Amino acid sequence: MLKILIPTIMMIPTTYFMNKKWLWTSTTSYSLLIATMSLLWFKWNLETAWNFSNNFLAIDPLSMPLLVLTCWLLPLMLLASQNHLMNEPYIRQQTYITLLILLQIFLIMAFSATELILFYIMFEATLIPTLIIITRWGNQTERLNAGIYFLFYTLMGSLPLLIALLILQNDMNTLSMFMLQHISNNLMATSWNKFWWLACMIAFLVKMPLYGVHLWLPKAHVEAPIAGSMILAAILLKLGGYGMMRIIIMLNPLTKEMMYPFLILAVWGIIMTSSICLRQTDLKSLIAYSSVSHMGLVAAAILIQTPWSFAGATTLMIAHGLISSALFCLSNTNYERTHTRTLILTRGLQIILPLMATSWFLINLANLALPPSLNLMGELLIITSLFKWSNWTIMLTGIGMMLTASYSLYMFLMTQRGPTPQHLTFINPSYTREHLLIYLHLLPSMLIILKPELIMGWTF
Amino acid sequence: MRTVHRELSGIQLWRRRKMAARSIGLLRRLRVWRPGVGAGCQAVSSRRVLGHSSREQAGSVTSAPEPALPIGHGDAPPQEVMLYDKNPDYHGFSADPYVDVWNMRLAFFCGISLAIVVGSVFVHYLPDHGMRQWARREAERQLKQREAEGLPAIDVNYYSTDRIALPPEGEE
Repeated sequence: MLKILIPTIMMIPTTYFMNKKWLWTSTTSYSLLIATMSLLWFKWNLETAWNFSNNFLAIDPLSMPLLVLTCWLLPLMLLASQNHLMNEPYIRQQTYITLLILLQIFLIMAFSATELILFYIMFEATLIPTLIIITRWGNQTERLNAGIYFLFYTLMGSLPLLIALLILQNDMNTLSMFMLQHISNNLMATSWNKFWWLACMIAFLVKMPLYGVHLWLPKAHVEAPIAGSMILAAILLKLGGYGMMRIIIMLNPLTKEMMYPFLILAVWGIIMTSSICLRQTDLKSLIAYSSVSHMGLVAAAILIQTPWSFAGATTLMIAHGLISSALFCLSNTNYERTHTRTLILTRGLQIILPLMATSWFLINLANLALPPSLNLMGELLIITSLFKWSNWTIMLTGIGMMLTASYSLYMFLMTQRGPTPQHLTFINPSYTREHLLIYLHLLPSMLIILKPELIMGWTF
Repeated sequence: MRTVHRELSGIQLWRRRKMAARSIGLLRRLRVWRPGVGAGCQAVSSRRVLGHSSREQAGSVTSAPEPALPIGHGDAPPQEVMLYDKNPDYHGFSADPYVDVWNMRLAFFCGISLAIVVGSVFVHYLPDHGMRQWARREAERQLKQREAEGLPAIDVNYYSTDRIALPPEGEE
């Protein structure tokens, strides 16, 4: 654990003492080396849940893939941000990199926390660098509004969580996950217990986001710079899913009656947000709403608490993290050339950027859950477990998958096919950096297909 | 779609130069014909022509019509076009060609050769993940053993009932 955490912390002095010429080279290379080291966390050769543990941090098969994804994402964010920060003053570049590294540290500690208060503090701490990245480096005036929505939606959800955790601490005298997984399931249906259940869950439902409280997500994703969008889509949403999976273990049997409104919102949200995707004019907004759609499936899966649904939820979280982040990178390659996100203005790119069109194609296919991609594995597990829970959900999830396929294809056809507008014929060709960035997203997601038990959590 | 009205900024000047350069470039390509040169070289040379002509035409551009596009969000740095002129092997990392090449090499080496190739080999050769294959082998072995002994395949109770301590009868 420390062999990843200490190098990550020491990358902050590296950015400040590094020679100006070699800042980006060194930070990218070091973060890739740290990501390679983080693959050690995949070693789970005992049946016991918690590995690599010390008193405060430990890894279990749920946090394992999320941690590796977090460590993998930092070099990708650095690769993606290198271009748009090229013309900024050096100190601002260093600040940006420091913020990304800080986010990484907080996320590693959040996912490996064994104590719920440490998890909560890190959960909140990730908000600050993300807020700074969105509001300082976003490109439009709406970034201020986006930052406010992002911050306050999440805070409104998580302050009740703090109270709930303090109540639990008062009751149990411990908040260690090692202990809490063994408490007996006797949360009875009194009204105060219902409030406590809500207080525990609402923070993570807002973070996921659940359909009714999802308004912060399109704003934050669209207004954030590329690294902000990547970290939001790939990891911060999964903080909500991870937290929910950890805390829902303690909330039985009250969950069986309390989860209905949220399950309905989640499953309905899949259809609604997929339909909204088909009507979007802004490319990043389309990808943001598709994130809400996928996370709706994950939220529904976590709420029904079956082994297959948990396996599907973790699989879909990882798969969506890689693919959604890749989609944002692709849209950023368009944005850096045309400085617009409007779909009808960035059309017909296949003729001028054919290799990038291949990447667009593969990633859109993965997004629509084409076999044998990980997205399909996750969605299949979730949809079958939802079907077992209630036969009627198949209608909603089936329509949702159809709409997912249609908006993914719509995104591909709009950006790649069709006549190329006149103003696009003189854009720069794709850089090696951009291709590398996309392949570093695609290759892990293709390789994990060969060994999916790595990301299927502990219930597989 | 909002249209933003601005004073003539650097971006607008650059766009006008580009528009003019496009029309000049088109005219040049129609007039000039270089025998024996492949299509690729033609494209590169027309790009160079564009780059040079944009600089040449900087002064006399103010009368060119503004393209009827909504102005893109944010300002485009004008030196984007020049980067390939200065460094034809630009990889997208840095304006300095030496740093660019080394950044590309290190990123590819650490990312692909180390993280993906060596990492995949490591992950592939990890021992039995979560003891799943062991569990399968153990189950088959136990089944075989129980069938040989004539016992039922699996016990009805999850654990043996004499480990449960019930309170004595008649006590509340």
